[in-house]
Amino acid sequence: MTFTSWQFGVFVAIVFAAYYLPALRAFQVQLLVFASLFFYGYGQPELLALLAVAVFGTYLFLVLALRNRQVWLPVGIAFNLALLAFFKYKLLFIDPASPSLVDFAPLDFLLKLPLPIGISFFVFHNISLLVDLTRQKATPPTLTGVFLYIIFFPQLVSGPITRAEMFMPQIKPKYFADIAFVEAAKWILTGFFFKLYVSNNLNEMTSYISFPLYETLQTQDRWLLVFLYSYQIYADFLGYSAIAIGLGLLFGYRLPINFNLPYISTSFSEFWTRWHISLSTWLRTYLYVPLGGNRHGVWRTYLNLMIVMGLGGLWHGAGLGYLMWGLLHGLLLVLERPLLARLASIDFAVFRAARMTVVFVCVTMLWIFFKLPNFDHAVGYLAGMFTPTTNPNPTKLFYSLALLYSLPVMIQHLGFRPLFEGRLRWAEPYLYGSMAALMYLEAGAETSFIYFQF
Amino acid sequence: MSAVRWLIKCGAGAAIVLIACGFATVRFGGGLQMPAATTRDGTLVTLSRYLREPVPDIVLVGSSITFRLKEEYFATPGLRNLALAGGSPVTGLEIVAKQPRLPGVILVEANVLARPTDAALVKRYSRGDIEPLFFRPVRAAVAAYEQRLHAPLTHEQVALDLRRLVGQPPGDFDNRVYVNHALQQFNAEDPTDVVQFNAKRVEELIRLVEQRGARVLLFELPYAEPIEGSRFAATTREIVHAAFPDSKRWLPIEVNRSELRWADGVHLDERSAVIVTQAMERALALARTGK
Repeated sequence: MTFTSWQFGVFVAIVFAAYYLPALRAFQVQLLVFASLFFYGYGQPELLALLAVAVFGTYLFLVLALRNRQVWLPVGIAFNLALLAFFKYKLLFIDPASPSLVDFAPLDFLLKLPLPIGISFFVFHNISLLVDLTRQKATPPTLTGVFLYIIFFPQLVSGPITRAEMFMPQIKPKYFADIAFVEAAKWILTGFFFKLYVSNNLNEMTSYISFPLYETLQTQDRWLLVFLYSYQIYADFLGYSAIAIGLGLLFGYRLPINFNLPYISTSFSEFWTRWHISLSTWLRTYLYVPLGGNRHGVWRTYLNLMIVMGLGGLWHGAGLGYLMWGLLHGLLLVLERPLLARLASIDFAVFRAARMTVVFVCVTMLWIFFKLPNFDHAVGYLAGMFTPTTNPNPTKLFYSLALLYSLPVMIQHLGFRPLFEGRLRWAEPYLYGSMAALMYLEAGAETSFIYFQF
Repeated sequence: MSAVRWLIKCGAGAAIVLIACGFATVRFGGGLQMPAATTRDGTLVTLSRYLREPVPDIVLVGSSITFRLKEEYFATPGLRNLALAGGSPVTGLEIVAKQPRLPGVILVEANVLARPTDAALVKRYSRGDIEPLFFRPVRAAVAAYEQRLHAPLTHEQVALDLRRLVGQPPGDFDNRVYVNHALQQFNAEDPTDVVQFNAKRVEELIRLVEQRGARVLLFELPYAEPIEGSRFAATTREIVHAAFPDSKRWLPIEVNRSELRWADGVHLDERSAVIVTQAMERALALARTGK
C-alpha cells in the first residue's frame, strides 16, 4: 500500500476517524499500532513475524540494558545490525532463485524471504531507542509505546528516522482540537505535488539512465538526465518525507524535517545538514561521535568521515555503486575540510553562487552511482558523458517538458517562501490549491518511491 | 486565518484550475496532440489519433521495429502505422479488431511475438471513451509549442528529401557494441511458449477480422545478419511460418540487404527504413491487384 494509492487514502481516513473518537481515546496508541501492523502486513504479511521479532527483541534488550547498559546495549545493537546485515547483504552470497540454498529447511525459508520493506529505517529506530533511553536511564516505556515508535506507519517505510528521545515524550492522549490542520495540509499537498507532478513525470525521462537504454542517448542528453535525476530524487524523497510529516501531524506527532533546500548548499558539509537530515543526524549521533568524531586529531577525523560516509552508502544497499557513492562523498568532505574556514571568510554573492554550483554539480554527478548501483554501468554512463555520440537514432527528449517538470524544485530553491509568509500571505491557500489540481491533472505514470527499495 | 477558511480557499484554488482545464478540454480537447515524452506516450498519441480520425485503407501493426517505418515514408495514401514502440503487434491487432469499422488491409509484423498483449491498453482503446475529462495543461502547452515547431509531415513534403537520402551511400556507423548487446538479449531466453501462444491468438484475430471483410498480410522486417541467427529470431520465424505456411498470407519484402543498415542490429536506420518502405509498397500494390 503506497502513499499514492487510493487504498491508502481510505486506510488513513478510517484510522483518522476512529483515532479521535472519544470512546477510543484511551486506546489511541494501540489503534495506531494495529493500523501500522495492517499497513505493513498489507504488502508483505509474511514479514510481520520478522517485524515482531525485531520489536520484541529490541524491547527485551532495552529492559535488560536499563539494568546493565554496559553488557546489554552492545548486544541489543548487534542484534539489530545482524538483522539488517542478514536481510540486506545476504544476496551478496546467495542466489535466491536457487531451488534449495541450504539443507536446513527453516534457514532455507529465511534466506528466501524478500528484503523487508523499511528494514533499514526501523533498525535505526531500534538502535536509537536502545541508546537514547538507556543513556537517560529512563524507566522502561510500555511495549505499545515501543511498538508505536518503531512502526508508526507514516515513517515506517522510509523515515524520517526519528530519534527516540524526540518521539517517546510525544506519546500521550491526542485531541481533535489540537490538530495543526493547515500545517498538515501544506506538508501533505507539498509531498504529493513533488511526488506526482515532479518526480513521476521526470521519471519518464530519467528511466533512460538505466542500462542498456542509456546507450541510445546523445551526449548532451546524458548530462541533462543526470541533472533531471538530481531533481527527481530530491522531489521523490522530499515528497515522501513531507507526506509522512503531514500524516504525523494529523495524528498529533511531530516528525523531524528531512530536507532544507539541499541544492543551495555552499559546502559538502552543509549539504549533509540539508539532505536526508534525519539520516545524517543519526549517523553523526550514533556513529561519527562514538567513533571519536573530530576529537582525536585531523587524520582520525578524516578516517571517521570516510568510515561514516562509506557505511552510509552501504546502508542504502549491498553494491559497489552505493559504497562508491558514500566514499566519494566522504572524500569530498575530507578535501573541503581544511579549506572551509578560508572559503567562509570570502563573503560575496558571486563567490557564494560559484560554491553552490560546484557543490550541486558534484552531488549531481555522484547520483549516477546511486541510480546505477552496478559499478560497470555507472562508469559506462559517465564515460559516455565525455565522448560524442555516433548513434544515428538517438532517443528524443522534450527539453520544454523537462524544464516545466523541474521548475518546482528550482523555484523552491530560489527561496520564495518568505514572500508567501509576508506580502503574499493571502495567496498561499490558492497556491496550494493550484498545486493540488496540478498534481491531479498532470500526474506522471505511477512509480514507487525511490527510497522504498532501502 | 482560521484553518477552515484556509482549507476553503485552498479548495477554491483547486476548483478554479480544474474548471479552467475542464472548459479548455471541451473547447480544444478533440484537436490536442500531446507530445510523446516517452514510448508509452507515443503509443497513446498514435492510438488516440487512430480512433478519432476516419478509418484508413491500410494499417500496420507491430513493435518498435515497424515503428521506424514513418507514415510519411509511404506514398500510398490512407495508410496508418499503429506500431507500438516497446509493444507487441498482437496488442495493435487486438485494438484494431475491437473497433466497429475495419481498414481494408491490415499488415501484421511477425518479428516480435514474444511480448505479452498489453491488456490495459486494449481495454482502454476498446471502450471508445478516449477523450479525457481534463487535459494536462503542461503537456498541452508543450504540445502546442512542439506542433508549431514540428508539424506532422506529409509524403509530398518529404518526397524529395527521401529520394536524396536513398540516393546516398549506406551509413558507416559502427554499431558493433549495440549489436552485441542486442545479440545477448536475443539469445537470453527461450521465447517458444509465448510465441506459440501469440501466434495462435494472431490466427484467431485474423479469422475474426477476415470474417468482417478485412484482409490480413504478415510481414517480416530484416535484421542484421548476426541477429537473424539468434535464438529469439530463429525460434519466432520457425513458429510463425509453421502457423502460417501459405505464402499468400505473407507480404514479401524484396530488398538488397547490402543496402541496409541497423542502428543496433534490430532497428533499421532512416535510409534503410525508407528502402524497406518502398519495397513494401511495391509488394502491397502487387498483392492488392492480384487478389
